[in-house]
This record gives sequence, structure tokens and C-alpha cells, in this order.
Amino acid sequence: MKSPAWRNRRTFLRLCRARDLLSDLRSSNVSIAEAAREASLSSFHFIRRFEAAFGETPHQFRTRERLTAAQRLLARGRSVTDVCLDVGFSSLGSFSTLFARRVGISPAEYQRSLRRSVYVPDWTPHPPTCLLLMGGPDAIAIFEKTVRRR
Amino acid sequence: MRIKLISIFVDDQEKALKFYTDVLGFRKEKDFPAGGARWITVVSPEGPGDLELVLEPNGHPAASAYQSALMKDGIPATAFESSAIHSEVQRLKDKGVVFTMEPTVAGPVTLAIFSDTCGNLIQMYQPKSAP
Repeated sequence: MKSPAWRNRRTFLRLCRARDLLSDLRSSNVSIAEAAREASLSSFHFIRRFEAAFGETPHQFRTRERLTAAQRLLARGRSVTDVCLDVGFSSLGSFSTLFARRVGISPAEYQRSLRRSVYVPDWTPHPPTCLLLMGGPDAIAIFEKTVRRR
Repeated sequence: MRIKLISIFVDDQEKALKFYTDVLGFRKEKDFPAGGARWITVVSPEGPGDLELVLEPNGHPAASAYQSALMKDGIPATAFESSAIHSEVQRLKDKGVVFTMEPTVAGPVTLAIFSDTCGNLIQMYQPKSAP
């Protein structure tokens, strides 16, 4: 597939603005058509160009952003129902299904898994990079064992 | 002491792995679970073979804010060197890659900028005396 001629960076910037709008949880009611208007494009061209620039459709992007935000809020100890509403889902069922599809476990299980460790950071935790650099998978196993022991 | 790893934040590791291997043509070097994410590195088949690019998740709020700010201001997150920038750009365009800057002569280099689909702009450059 030939990419469109993107000689003008302004189009890309407009897409970035629309992307910001879609990722802003405070504007969770914004429709794809409204985001397309932010980019000064028709919905059809907006979806095509968004996917070419960011590797996913606006809808896929927004869903992923919401689920990432949900992981952060669950890590802070917020209830599953509150998180579901906070990140813009109206149905607990579809939220749980999408969350489990992406993370591999349900929102409640995810929250329980974080509570097992003493240190619950503000974002999805992963081992310190320095450990990974030095020791690879063995270092991670030791790190996780240490965290569980605390 | 030497530089062995460089990292780039990505908004989705699976999508990034696909782009950096299938589209750019890098080779997956490491891929294993790391906490809630994965430790993924790629290397360029054109070398150097032991310099790995880490596709690092942008899970920390500061990481995604950093990425977004750079991208909106048109600042590339990193740069890759090419010895044949025009044919490389055409090859990537044929794969659907979006360029925000066509190959442009800028003093001692020719450079172009594209979106890596994972929240970054990447600069590709070719020095006048290409290796």
C-alpha cells in the first residue's frame, strides 16, 4: 500500500491533537467524528490517516489508553466499578472482558496481584531497568522473589 | 565502559515489535516477560550486531507525556543512519510508513522523519560521506 503524501507536517500535528483528545479521560464522550473534526478531516480520512500514523484505529487507540489508565487507577486501590466509570466505560461487563483480553487477568485479579507486594507504585510496575540490563531473566526472577518476600 | 543498549519508549510493545521487525527490518534479539511487561530488544541486521534497541513500555505517566510532547513539537525520539536514504524511504513508504519530512539536505547530512506508529518520530539520516 502506498502511503499518502505527507509533505505537510500540519496534518500530522492535527492528528496528534485529535489523538490527545481521544486519550483525555475528561473528554471520554468525544465521538470519533468530533475527533476527526479536530483534525480537520472527514471521519473516513481521519480513521485511515490515524491508523497509518499510529498503527491502530482511533477506536483501538482510545480503548488501549483507557485500559492503561485503568491499570494505573487499580494500582492506586480504586474499586473496579469506579475505575470502569472513571475511564469511560459504561458497562462493567465489557470493561472486564476487554481488560482480561489485554492484561490476561480480570481487573479484580490484577488489583489483588498488586496488593501481594508491599510497594504499589502509581503506574504499572516492572522491574528496574538496571537489573534487566545486567542479568536478564534470572535477575527478574530474583527481583520478583525479593519483592514477594518483603 | 561502552554503549550496549539504547531504549525508546513505545505505547504498545507488541505493536512496536511488529513495526520494528516487519516494517523497519530489524531482528528481534530478546523477548521475555519482565514484571507486568516484556523485555524486548531488536538489533539492526546492518550492525553493529551487539548494539540493542530496547522497546520500553511507556507505562510511567511521565514517559507518555514526554513522548507526546516531543511528537507534537516534531522532535524525533532517536535517529537511525542509512547508507541509501532515498531507496530506504521509498521502501518504507511502500509499506505504508508515514513521513512528516521528506528526504531533505541539511548541511552535511540528508535527513527524513517518519512516525514509528508507537508514539515517536524517528529521524533517518545519511551523511554525505555515507559508510
